[in-house]
Amino acid sequence: MSLTGTEQRYFGDAELGDEFEESYVARPELVETYLSVSRGNAQLDDEDGRFSDAAGAQALGLERPIVPGVMSLSIITRLVTDWAGPAGRLRTLDANFRRPVLHGDRLRLMALVTDASDESGIGRVTLDVYLENERGERPLQGTAVVELPHRPR
Amino acid sequence: MVDYDESVIGVEHRLGSFTVTDAAIDAYCEALGETNPLYLDEDFASGTGYGGRIAPPLIFTTANFRGTGADPQVDFGNARFLGGERIEVLEPMRPGDTITAYGQVTEVYEKTGRSGKMVFVVRRTRYENQNGRDVALVDSSMVHREIEA
Repeated sequence: MSLTGTEQRYFGDAELGDEFEESYVARPELVETYLSVSRGNAQLDDEDGRFSDAAGAQALGLERPIVPGVMSLSIITRLVTDWAGPAGRLRTLDANFRRPVLHGDRLRLMALVTDASDESGIGRVTLDVYLENERGERPLQGTAVVELPHRPR
Repeated sequence: MVDYDESVIGVEHRLGSFTVTDAAIDAYCEALGETNPLYLDEDFASGTGYGGRIAPPLIFTTANFRGTGADPQVDFGNARFLGGERIEVLEPMRPGDTITAYGQVTEVYEKTGRSGKMVFVVRRTRYENQNGRDVALVDSSMVHREIEA
């Protein structure tokens, strides 16, 4: 299944246990593009080169440069917002970083519906979300809460 | 308990500001492989409840202003990394919006796990738009620890 963000997900569509996923390869040039936005806005804490420089990363004991944690958050958010559709809204994302995402890692972006409740007419869906690399490790795990509209009658 | 400057706890500082631009949204989407037309196609977005293109909700993560603001001067560890974040998205950001970040250190605590002692510095960053409305709140945990060379 490929999610594009154009298809609207309605609250009634979300069933407990539903799973969905996308993929992403953390190519160095994509990390560099993300960092370029950061440099234009302010700065990212990359003075030791951990996000961009092989020698800097190795000096820190890392096999390869790593993806900024906040970029990993953005990657998993893409999955959630594309699933929710244009009228869906991400409300919260709570995530823990278990290990770094390395440049070149091939990631599965995964989500599982764990709760769905109607709160005063607002459909709220809770998702377990995580990134999984090709080594079977989960560098990021967390929970997202999205609001979905009810299907028009 | 680890030594740190307790006077910074709960004191909010202005960290800086940035403007959400079409170019930044385009580049951010390219970096993520994002193709959602809500962020990239003005015609599509105009037909949604937003009435026009908006930015992906976490675009502010590109401007985290880490390294600015109060420093609790934690006297521990030779390495630090981002342990976790809790993000609350409050309002959409649009091209042309100017977002100002305000940050404070909310907590410093230590914990000993299987890999030894760690010190957590928790910061709250509040992102406010040019209309004085909060668009996002972020609680970040930075972990300080000792790593053998």
